[in-house]
Amino acid sequence: MSLAAQLAVNGVIAGAILALVASGFSLIYNVTKMMHFAHGAVIALAAYFAHTFTSMPIAFPFALVLTLVSTCVAGELINRLVYRPLRTRKASSAVLLIASLAAMIFLNAAIITFWGADIKTIRLPYANASIEFAGIIITSVQLTIIAVALVLLLVLWWLMKQTMIGKAMRALADNKDVAQTVGINPEQLTTITFLIGSVLAAVAGILIGIEENLHPAMGTSLIVKGFAGAVVGGMLSVPGAVLGALLLGLAQNLGIWWLPSGYKDAIAFALLFVFLLFRPQGLLGKKMRDA
Amino acid sequence: MMLRITKLDKHFGGVYAVHDCTFDIKEGTITSIIGPNGAGKTTLFNLITGILPPDKGSVRFKNQNITGFKPYKVARAGISRTFQLAKVFKNLTVRDNLLLASNVNDAELKKILAHVHYGRELDTLAGELSYGQQRLVEIARALLFPHSLLMLDEPTAGVNPKVRQELKQILTRLKKQGSTIVLIEHDMDFVMSISDRVIVLNEGTVLTSGTPAQVRKNPKVLEAYLGK
Amino acid sequence: MAFINYLIHLAILVCIYGMLTVSLNLAVGFTGLINLGHIAFFGIGAYTSALLALNGYPLWAAILGAALIAALAGIILAFPTTRLKGDYLALATLGFTFIVGSIARNWTSLTRGPLGLPGIPKYAASNQTLLWIAAGTLLAFSITIYCITKTRFGKTLQAVRDDELAAAMLGKNTFVHKVAAMGISAFFAGIAGSFFAHYISFIDPSIFGLGDLVLLLSMLIVGGLASVPGSFIGTAIILLIPEPLRFIGFPSALIGPMREMLFALILLLILIYRPKGIFGRVDLQ
Repeated sequence: MSLAAQLAVNGVIAGAILALVASGFSLIYNVTKMMHFAHGAVIALAAYFAHTFTSMPIAFPFALVLTLVSTCVAGELINRLVYRPLRTRKASSAVLLIASLAAMIFLNAAIITFWGADIKTIRLPYANASIEFAGIIITSVQLTIIAVALVLLLVLWWLMKQTMIGKAMRALADNKDVAQTVGINPEQLTTITFLIGSVLAAVAGILIGIEENLHPAMGTSLIVKGFAGAVVGGMLSVPGAVLGALLLGLAQNLGIWWLPSGYKDAIAFALLFVFLLFRPQGLLGKKMRDA
Repeated sequence: MMLRITKLDKHFGGVYAVHDCTFDIKEGTITSIIGPNGAGKTTLFNLITGILPPDKGSVRFKNQNITGFKPYKVARAGISRTFQLAKVFKNLTVRDNLLLASNVNDAELKKILAHVHYGRELDTLAGELSYGQQRLVEIARALLFPHSLLMLDEPTAGVNPKVRQELKQILTRLKKQGSTIVLIEHDMDFVMSISDRVIVLNEGTVLTSGTPAQVRKNPKVLEAYLGK
Repeated sequence: MAFINYLIHLAILVCIYGMLTVSLNLAVGFTGLINLGHIAFFGIGAYTSALLALNGYPLWAAILGAALIAALAGIILAFPTTRLKGDYLALATLGFTFIVGSIARNWTSLTRGPLGLPGIPKYAASNQTLLWIAAGTLLAFSITIYCITKTRFGKTLQAVRDDELAAAMLGKNTFVHKVAAMGISAFFAGIAGSFFAHYISFIDPSIFGLGDLVLLLSMLIVGGLASVPGSFIGTAIILLIPEPLRFIGFPSALIGPMREMLFALILLLILIYRPKGIFGRVDLQ
């Protein structure tokens, strides 16, 4: 009984992490209609930036702020240098997808070049306490992850639904050309979207870096699973993506009740594959009519 | 009876694109389907040629029930069609475009291209042609494909007046040869001059049908086009 | 002496990856299927060949097995995915690559998981002989695929790429054509995989990685879609351009990642500034 409960809690933690990953990815997809796989690399970059900045003799919160800023710069650079030129020449979504994969490989390799391939950690200025209740063990970092994920997602929801910027983003997502006729500047808004996405990536990178340690390929693994979660929940809505990611985290961790633990990732990929084939709109999505 | 459409229904999200549509096409006739924009004409074509499955109703072609057949099966049954926007294989030559319809020798190809007043080479890439020339190639391809029924969706749309004239001559010649043709058209003079029968579609259903003279005089038709 | 061996080594790799790129071009450039699962066929061919050879089967059986199992994988993948549109097809096939990689890592009783399969017997005693065999096979593949594209079947594939609906209205069963294109291209990829396994003598699940996939895409797109000679040139360019890095004096641990940065960068530049590639005749849809 307590094993199942522990697995469930682990699932929630994993789900919260994936939800952070999926939210940034899904936001960018919803507004710009492109699959920014390099988001995974941006998350990894954030973790490595955090490692570097927290290793410097500066205050921990300040290091985190520097990480946030650097990550935003990195994310927007990808948008400007890679995606914008492609959008200008009206590249197909398949080309954007391939470009994003190339960008991810580039960044992964850059991480190894500048930081090395060994495992790194982010040192916390305080101890990571372990709490036990009802036979379940959870650490303060893990609780922070769940709390931060919750807060961030609520903020995101508020942003999309209640603010002018959120409305503009939804208008852009719905119809780029019509949005322009009401005075929305698509490139400006895309930049804002990427900045918000990068903030989400930075938070994800920092938390995951603290919880799971850093290795150069961490971004790839995260974005593939985050993407799987987004597809399962429903790519066409950010809440859907978040929900899907949460469910995926749960499914992966509960799934290893029956399967050897190495197959955790395979569960994610298999779910992704099945949903892409049979229910591409995800659990929450509506079937898109073929124009 | 070449083609028999019975009570065809198709809706998208609660709105009927085609509703209770019923008509016949007799062999050796030219039938024009007209109607205001959004009347469901192209949807009707797509239902007949298997691109969309109907919600209700049936399509019988030469006494065979082809309702819901996949497009390639409909084509093999003997229906040849062109599209509202000319669909040529842009990265293939005109020759290859035509050979895909029927494997004949160059002389035959040149003949059919002359038939449609196509003015350029066989080896030109279809993507390099002007839109009007692409339309001619598409029609030539549709003519070459073994068929008993030819369906043309707005063949004169988007082409210059010279090509439009040539298309009219082509259809007139085909009519003399006894071909069975269904066409969607907006050019009223053209429709009236060439059709044996005219079917008027409005809001997805058949408003009326008859000879060009009958349809022209029908007040309901005017209403449909001009609004009440 | 060592330099000649190094050149031969490069030439062999160019031949092996050339086979892989040319076969991918059949599916992507000629049929318009954005198949990101091609690297999985490569790996499946490599593992099948290695396992057959390591279990005592003769070399010809290993190669044939690799080709057939890879082709089977291609057909199986094609069935559910070819009805998907462009980027969804890409994603589903990408998912397939990840799934197969995951299986290779976890089915340790068969594949020895991350430990990989060492000691795979070589095709030929000397690398020079192998180079002749590889070059000959690449030539044979290229000629075969080129000829396929000139047949009625090949023209139909291209028609399916250019306008699937119009092809269907000419009576072509586009589904069967797409499945066949995937199966044939996977067949060749399987043989390339076999070559690879028996040349390097060691394979592990990293063959199913994203890095190799992007490498392959770089070769394909730089060379140009729907161009058989383009695939060979693209392969040569992508494999050879980073080589001078070895001689500039970077620490050897950095050569690998710098190579990756270089070909990823080349791919991005080509996509932005010259998406048709060098010899390409069509755009990536």
